[in-house]
Amino acid sequence: MPKLLELQSIGKTFPGVVALDDVSIDLLVGEVHVLIGENGAGKSTLMKILSGAYQNDSGSLSIEGIEVLKNDPKKAEQLGIRMIYQELNLIPELSVMENIFLGHELKLKGNIFLNKRLMYEKAKEILGRLNIPIDPKTQVKHLTIAARQMVEIAKALSSKAKILVFDEPTSSLTSSEIKDLFAIITSLKATDVGMFYISHRLEELFMIGDRVTVLRDGKKITTKNIKDITIDELIEKIAGREITEIYPHKKLAAGEVLLDINGLSSEKFKNITMDLKSGEIVGLSGLVGAGRSEMARAVFGIDNYKSGSVTICGEKLVKRNPKVAGQKGLSYLPEDRKEQGLALPLNVRENIVIAGIDQLFPNHIINKQKETQVATSYVEELNIATPTTEKLTRFLSGGNQQKVVIAKWLLTKAKVFIFDEPTRGIDVAAKSGIYSLMDQLAKEGAAILMISSDLPEIIGMSDRVYVMSNGILAGEVRGTEITQEKILELAFSHVKGELITDETA
Amino acid sequence: MKQHKKPFRLSNLPNSLYVLFVVFIAASLAVPKFLTPGNLSNLILQSSILLLLSFGMSLVLMTGCIDLSVGGILSMTGVVMATMLRMNVPAIWAIAIGLLTGVLFGIVNGLLITKLRLPSFITTFATMGIAQSIANVVSEKRTVYWEANSSNSLIDTLGRDFIRIEFGQTAKEVLTISYLVLITAVVITVVMLLFNKTTLKSRVFAIGENEEIARLAGIKTHLWQIGIYAASGLLAAMASLLVLIRTNSLQPTTGEGLEFQAVVAAVLGGNTLKGGKGSLTGTILGALALYSVRSALSLAGIDTSVVMIVIGAVLILGMWLNETIQKYEERIVGILRSIVLGRNHGRNA
Repeated sequence: MPKLLELQSIGKTFPGVVALDDVSIDLLVGEVHVLIGENGAGKSTLMKILSGAYQNDSGSLSIEGIEVLKNDPKKAEQLGIRMIYQELNLIPELSVMENIFLGHELKLKGNIFLNKRLMYEKAKEILGRLNIPIDPKTQVKHLTIAARQMVEIAKALSSKAKILVFDEPTSSLTSSEIKDLFAIITSLKATDVGMFYISHRLEELFMIGDRVTVLRDGKKITTKNIKDITIDELIEKIAGREITEIYPHKKLAAGEVLLDINGLSSEKFKNITMDLKSGEIVGLSGLVGAGRSEMARAVFGIDNYKSGSVTICGEKLVKRNPKVAGQKGLSYLPEDRKEQGLALPLNVRENIVIAGIDQLFPNHIINKQKETQVATSYVEELNIATPTTEKLTRFLSGGNQQKVVIAKWLLTKAKVFIFDEPTRGIDVAAKSGIYSLMDQLAKEGAAILMISSDLPEIIGMSDRVYVMSNGILAGEVRGTEITQEKILELAFSHVKGELITDETA
Repeated sequence: MKQHKKPFRLSNLPNSLYVLFVVFIAASLAVPKFLTPGNLSNLILQSSILLLLSFGMSLVLMTGCIDLSVGGILSMTGVVMATMLRMNVPAIWAIAIGLLTGVLFGIVNGLLITKLRLPSFITTFATMGIAQSIANVVSEKRTVYWEANSSNSLIDTLGRDFIRIEFGQTAKEVLTISYLVLITAVVITVVMLLFNKTTLKSRVFAIGENEEIARLAGIKTHLWQIGIYAASGLLAAMASLLVLIRTNSLQPTTGEGLEFQAVVAAVLGGNTLKGGKGSLTGTILGALALYSVRSALSLAGIDTSVVMIVIGAVLILGMWLNETIQKYEERIVGILRSIVLGRNHGRNA
């Protein structure tokens, strides 16, 4: 296969940090080259140099044998380099075709008016080539996350693309959606593009990758053919040490029922009955849109429900709001920690005390010293990597942000924890830290409900698994029954395979 | 390939449609003089002025910004034009310079917001005051008149009626459409054409949704934003021209408070302060709804100082209607269907 791209001895230094040190990597036509490493290993910096967002201090970049001097975003675009970002870059109010052609719309000859017919035909052709069954006129806001991701790929391919960079493309997709995405990537292998693929989900790499490069602390550790490496070797190379067990949770004898949900119904879910016992980690699986988060939000009192009841530690919730739920010992760690879990402009200390402030200062007079003391103790206990408690949470890594959210609820003396996608976008080492913490909480008698779209995580961590499908509790699996096949079967039991959602949000 | 037709939804219609509907029916029933050819003519003429302002406002809102200076620009450009007419400058030049002033002022707004990265609310709040003060200073706070002569006969011509249909003898029985309404119709048609048929819509929506996405797509976001503010300034100057022709004079305070009405009309039409979406059709209906309220109140002899209370209430009603319709859409449709079909097709049947 011909060489498409060559990055040679790339070096990049930011004030105080060597982000990349003598990294060489190449990309062949028709291959998927996987980049892997912990957060801060230099993957994103390398890709930003490729896309022209950053300038490299040393080394060279050449495409098809021709050296690219002074790369910038515009030049990279002309060279056919396309990034498929983790955060989706689509305009919800515009149609699929308007998004695909955003910035390079097709116009009627010689004037400013759009050639909507040609745009429609071309968009349809691109989508058809990728086997994406979406009408180009559909507004993006009506699409599921998975469908949006596909449109994003179509957008990248609508103008002459040579190199595609996928940055964590599967972080918000369910297994079946990942399968569709991989089918698209596989079909692209047969064309003349080359692809970089960044992901924290190791199993995926073996399904889709041809070669893998491991980065650690800005240095290249190795490049290997996927066939020649095992998952354990890979983990060891990523972490720089041996991690024997990612999922530490060992089953304990479950104690009393701490959370009892009985017949809970709303527009998004129907008649959900489940319970959580002390010392248990219970997985809640299902496809995106199955109503898992909506159910959790209702339990915590954020959204209202029509009928049913929620009982926490034997006490039935009468008033439905998060404050009351929190006082009774329930905590909710939302899916989107940046939007809902943390106040990003505030520092670590302020975020940790925010929910437990009434308990900490019963007479409503705040003592900063005491706050610092409490925050410091949690930073130490949970191993939060931050120089001081005064650091803004915005600057912490994903894993450490998640730990701050956990600390916040520990302070309120929560007994029941609902974790919604606790490890999304977090690297392997930090994931393992979160898992140990969850295990620790369970050992201390807490009950944990873990909502996750990551099946290995569900299977590895859960004592029991509830599966929701299209708003209905499709079943519960225990012990040796907890297998990928069984969970998927339940997850699909009430679905009608659609890429269009009914939501107008 | 599967075809996905956009489903018909009540909440997809601009909420100004419901407000206009409710207001129009209520006014027609409660105020006998409301539904007369004469009053409707007047209503359309008055809405024209607001329409121009709120069209500019809608475009700015779609980009996620706001332009509070439109009222100020209206006063200022009006005084500029009227003063030149008073100095016997030919009408065509007075108008051209007036419109240019509006454009330039809009460009200044745009430059301050994009290049100095100032928040649009505060920036245009400040320039609103500046523009209004310029109008007051130049006019010495007095109404500007001019003498009709051959150099400004254009003003007189434009003030005439384009269509006049007499249903009876009295003024209220005469339907008139003046050239001013015609001008407005042409302008809004052009803007809507540009919005729907060129890249304008995707540009303003992209900038309003996320400027970074727009920038990464190779869109010159600053240029577009400045252009939108310039358009808003131009439309405000055009509105000013309409006022000037209609009253054959110009009060320097004429634009005060109009930015509020422009925001109301735009927001009723489904344009949010967050940007990234919106509708120009909605804005037209919003402006009509707003002036229906005003017209009904003044015909009913209610003091003008009450008008703002009612307009505020209409805005809240409009927002509430939209929320409610979105929330209970299925149920409302179900009830309507069961009435039509004579059986219960409701959600929980």
